[in-house]
Amino acid sequence: MNGDKIKINALLFGACREAAGVGELSCDLTSPADVAGAWNEIKTRFPNLEKFERSALFAVNEEHARKDQPLEDGDTLAVFPPVSGG
Amino acid sequence: MTTPSLTVGLPPHAAINCMDIFEITREPIDKLGLEKRLLTGAAGAVVTFDGVVRDNTKGRRVVSLQYEAYEPMAVKEMRRIGDEIRERWPDVERVGVIHRFGPLKISESSVVIVVTSPHRRVAFEACRYAIDRLKQTVPIWKKEIFEDGEEWVEGQSPEVGQ
Repeated sequence: MNGDKIKINALLFGACREAAGVGELSCDLTSPADVAGAWNEIKTRFPNLEKFERSALFAVNEEHARKDQPLEDGDTLAVFPPVSGG
Repeated sequence: MTTPSLTVGLPPHAAINCMDIFEITREPIDKLGLEKRLLTGAAGAVVTFDGVVRDNTKGRRVVSLQYEAYEPMAVKEMRRIGDEIRERWPDVERVGVIHRFGPLKISESSVVIVVTSPHRRVAFEACRYAIDRLKQTVPIWKKEIFEDGEEWVEGQSPEVGQ
């Protein structure tokens, strides 16, 4: 319901994890919440992440996600730079 | 970490696809073992891509690489690539992808992809597709360790949600 408090789990990877100094945190948000809102909350706590504003990618519950994707209580949000495997 | 509640539908070729192999490992990759696990009597071609650690980047000497992976999602994305391959090349017999993470030395394999098919063209094309897609969608990152410092390799920004 709108106005409800929700809690999500956030994971940071690669250069994002290093810049923040943590790989995992929990985030309290107010419903309706989305990826963009959670990202803003995370950047407020870790201002070093501001440099990833244009490049950061997101996944919700292990699926690639856009910034406008809604978040529900208990979701896992991952934040990471463009992938560079291979 | 909470377990995500995802409903995943069976892919159209699930019956065949379950014989495919998608793994993330900290151990050295057994390339010949992977080929052997995937080889069936129906295959006439085995194409293997072996991605190995290079000792230089733009003239700078690389000492080693450090790979980091979002493991459960990486395996899911690899599986998705397998599904895409079967849609594009229904003749493909087996697909196998193993990506390593952690510290890697020069000339060690970071990723091995094996595609088998009755005839060679399909296996060549599908194998190339697999490594190209892996570099776009699979959540793995690498950091280059130089003699005089270290740097995360910048990936390309993909079209997300495709």
